[in-house]
Amino acid sequence: MAISKEAYKVLESIVGAEYISADPAICEGYRAGPGGYECGLGYERVMTRVPGCVAMPRTTEEVQKIVKACNRYKIPYVPYSTGFYGPRSHPHVSDALLIDLKRMDDFEIDDKHLYAVVGSGVIYSQLQEEAMKRGLYIVIGGGGSQVSAIANMIGDGWSPLSYRVGLPHRRILGTELILPDGELVRLGSLAFQDDSFWSEGPGPDLRGLLRGFTGHRGFLGIVTKMAIKLLPFQPERLVPSGISPHTSLQLPVNRVRWINFTMPSKDAMRQTMVEMAKAEIGAGVTKVPIFWRVIARAKSKEEFWELWSKETEETIKNFHVLRVLLIGFTSEEQLEYEERVLMDIITPLGGEARRTRPTDESWFKNADSAGMWLMCGGYVSVDYVIETLEHSIPHGENYAKLKRNFTPPLMPDYGDPGWFQSFELGHQGYSEFLVYWDPDENTDGVDQFYLETSKENIRKRFYTSLLGSHQPLYLTGPAYGPNYHKWLLKIKDEFDPQFICHPPVPLNHDVFVERAKWLHPQKDWESPELPKLS
Amino acid sequence: MSIREGLLKLVGSEKFTDDPKVLKEYSTDFSLAPSGVPNYVVKPKKTEDVQRVIKFANEHSIPVIPVSSSAHFYGTTIPKQGGIVLDLTGMNKIFEIDELNRRVRIEAGVTWEQLTSELGKKGFRMIMPLLPHPLRSVVTDYLEREMPTNTVYDYGEPLQGMEVVWPTGEIFRTGSASVTGYPDSPSKGGMPSGPGLDFYRLLQGAQGTMGVVTWANLKIECLPKIDKILFAPVRELDYAIEFLYRVLRIRIGQECLLLNNTNLATVIADDWSTDFEKLRASLPPWTLILVISGMQRDPEGKIQYEEQALDKILRNEFPEIHLANNLPGFPSLGKKLLPMLRKPWPKKVTYWKKRYKGGCQSLFFITKPTSASKFITKIEEIAAKHGYPISDIGGYLQPIEHNRACHLEFNFFYDPASHSEAERVRSLYDEAAKILLSEGALFTRPYGEELTKLVYERAADYTMTLRRVKKIFDPNNIMNPGNLCF
Repeated sequence: MAISKEAYKVLESIVGAEYISADPAICEGYRAGPGGYECGLGYERVMTRVPGCVAMPRTTEEVQKIVKACNRYKIPYVPYSTGFYGPRSHPHVSDALLIDLKRMDDFEIDDKHLYAVVGSGVIYSQLQEEAMKRGLYIVIGGGGSQVSAIANMIGDGWSPLSYRVGLPHRRILGTELILPDGELVRLGSLAFQDDSFWSEGPGPDLRGLLRGFTGHRGFLGIVTKMAIKLLPFQPERLVPSGISPHTSLQLPVNRVRWINFTMPSKDAMRQTMVEMAKAEIGAGVTKVPIFWRVIARAKSKEEFWELWSKETEETIKNFHVLRVLLIGFTSEEQLEYEERVLMDIITPLGGEARRTRPTDESWFKNADSAGMWLMCGGYVSVDYVIETLEHSIPHGENYAKLKRNFTPPLMPDYGDPGWFQSFELGHQGYSEFLVYWDPDENTDGVDQFYLETSKENIRKRFYTSLLGSHQPLYLTGPAYGPNYHKWLLKIKDEFDPQFICHPPVPLNHDVFVERAKWLHPQKDWESPELPKLS
Repeated sequence: MSIREGLLKLVGSEKFTDDPKVLKEYSTDFSLAPSGVPNYVVKPKKTEDVQRVIKFANEHSIPVIPVSSSAHFYGTTIPKQGGIVLDLTGMNKIFEIDELNRRVRIEAGVTWEQLTSELGKKGFRMIMPLLPHPLRSVVTDYLEREMPTNTVYDYGEPLQGMEVVWPTGEIFRTGSASVTGYPDSPSKGGMPSGPGLDFYRLLQGAQGTMGVVTWANLKIECLPKIDKILFAPVRELDYAIEFLYRVLRIRIGQECLLLNNTNLATVIADDWSTDFEKLRASLPPWTLILVISGMQRDPEGKIQYEEQALDKILRNEFPEIHLANNLPGFPSLGKKLLPMLRKPWPKKVTYWKKRYKGGCQSLFFITKPTSASKFITKIEEIAAKHGYPISDIGGYLQPIEHNRACHLEFNFFYDPASHSEAERVRSLYDEAAKILLSEGALFTRPYGEELTKLVYERAADYTMTLRRVKKIFDPNNIMNPGNLCF
């Protein structure tokens, strides 16, 4: 235990002996991986460390005291809730304190004013269930329903439901944030009073520090409480059915309806999205990639591969299925109206409705739970970008071309360009590009592809969510903003002068490139001296 | 070289003035804020002009006051410490109207009058605040979080990627406009977030203290094919608010708001001298205004299902709400008001807030709708104490986000030529702000010296953090000093 006995005693006095441990067996439980997002890659191997100590606070006051103690004793610390976001959520330096927030799991809902006040340990599953009991709903992001709602709200937080509901950072209301130096700042209405129903504080909106496009993994402090805006749903219950793991929600077809359409072309899909948005109908609309369907059909990993190996470049290229979700928020008549309008749009574009089961396996409740994706033992989104539909479609196609140079070790996907969907009633378009690999093989190519996507975005002037701590800061910084990295680092310096809150984030990927020799041939940008880490 | 000579050399004599007559024009506005004169005015034509001036000002620690509208109501553009007024009204280009992505990219000086007219020609609209002044900057109004009257879009905020010149003089683009070479890029600027942090949030509500936004992308919406405007006389406000909790939650309607009789009379009077008093006397205490719209496809079908749902709720749950095409006794009200809600106030008519007495001081805040009545009662008590006629108070309640919150506004009309009237409103405003703040009113856009001070004292940890952030971007505190907590 490198944390001094004195410091340990101080931390113990804050949370109690029961909720702190430096026992190697306990700390080992917080090792990054195996399995899940970004696992088994070079980043996990060279960047993650088992924590030197774990503390589990119960309250904001305890978190604040811990952070102040860390500043006093110069102990690097990492906030941690459910740890879904793979190795980037874990300590990157030896002898760090991992602050596990799962005991902060209280929440309450004001259903009249459409918000829930949640602690950092509250997961989406429980929140969505309680919201739905009250005729409300929330977007469960791609991380799945077992992830911390707060971590997801300041990390990613979107799904096909974002078509109607909008971006997650618009749903962050009153929030408590412990800054890296231990100062407490209350955002939104909490800046004035105890009620957290409102989002903006007086003047400039400090929610700007909570996240960028996608989150920064807690390098600017720890959110201990957040009010999250809920959205009105429809009044009927979605009834669970089946036996785990084959469970689903039965949709009330008079209020909630899925329709899958086969479409003649990608352009017809895009045009449908544009026209739906102008007509202001729908609660979700996405291109279905063939990969999803194979996953849905397969009952085992082996069956997945059997089915997947039957696909070809041609089947992928000619697979155009559009999935539309309609919800009668107002009434059953609204649903009928929207279906009429949808058919009016899609029929001339060549869309044909397919029989679609009135059940939901992933969008409302479970989201894209991690288990669905583990066909290879590990996966990562090399990009998920929200811009416009005009941006999203070529973005995915471009990645597919680039990926050919790195397959294998990447899983063969026959040129699949990922998927795209419409967000914020067509004001935005989303594209996501996942990659899978065999963790038993050399995965250097995965790391190389991941890095190359960043350079490709810069070359082709695409936007990307994976800035900040997700790619080398000194590579992306000059190309976006320009020089967003300078501002980011100035802010980090101001609030974390000792650089102890999740070091070396946001320079983590820069450090990774320096440590990973297999990436050196790709390094053609200038970096100043990087922090030395143990 | 003197500051004057330096500035002249930088921007040229065409864009520069220190003519006292011109300087004086910037020294007051329509608020009760004390006057303050700038030393110089620069009228940039492009971002690089803005950048040059700010760099120069930063090097010499001279205040810079960005001004992008020709009409101001809150005192924020009145120089508090002299300096350079950066008048952006000439930067008024509409760069593009992107019909496919329903987006517009405009410079900071583009006015409501200009934009609504151009968008209307192509069948588009902005979601708009209530009757903005035609010469107000659209970008500024959204940066300043003016509240739209439309409550139905869950995603709300129209601001997307934008360009800012930081107080150090560095040019920066936010969100997806941050890509190299923008707008010559596949990225259209349709995403506000990033890069790295949500920088755009730091520019919102900043009253020009964090930097100068030179252009912005904004969401636009299609103009409905059919609209029906509905009115209900409201005598019991809480009952009407309960009704709104019910109907806005199920996403009925587009624009929805409540005006009291004074404000509605102010807005709809044709011939002021004959109409206003008559209207005010005959209008109900409050009027609920709800617009339901048929969109691009089967517009009748949309109107029909919304009307069906409304009828059912009214019949079964809210029999005392009499929602109809017109207010009883005001047969042409719908025809008059509907187009007004989609446009700025007409340029040829005295602005509605100035019609009654020439001056208007507005006090507004965010609260839960259930608290609205409490605040109205409180305001009436305070007004009475100050001898301000209760019947003269303008009232505006704007439901927000399915009525989970509301913007509540009180308008105190006064004759600016009368010192005693102005002083009475000033003291009323200050006391009301203090009391309402202590009762839970959220002044997220604090204006006026007293109110601002109270707000930032109350939000102490927020204030401290804001100052730390501000110092990073504006180490010499040159951007509009004297506003907010800076």
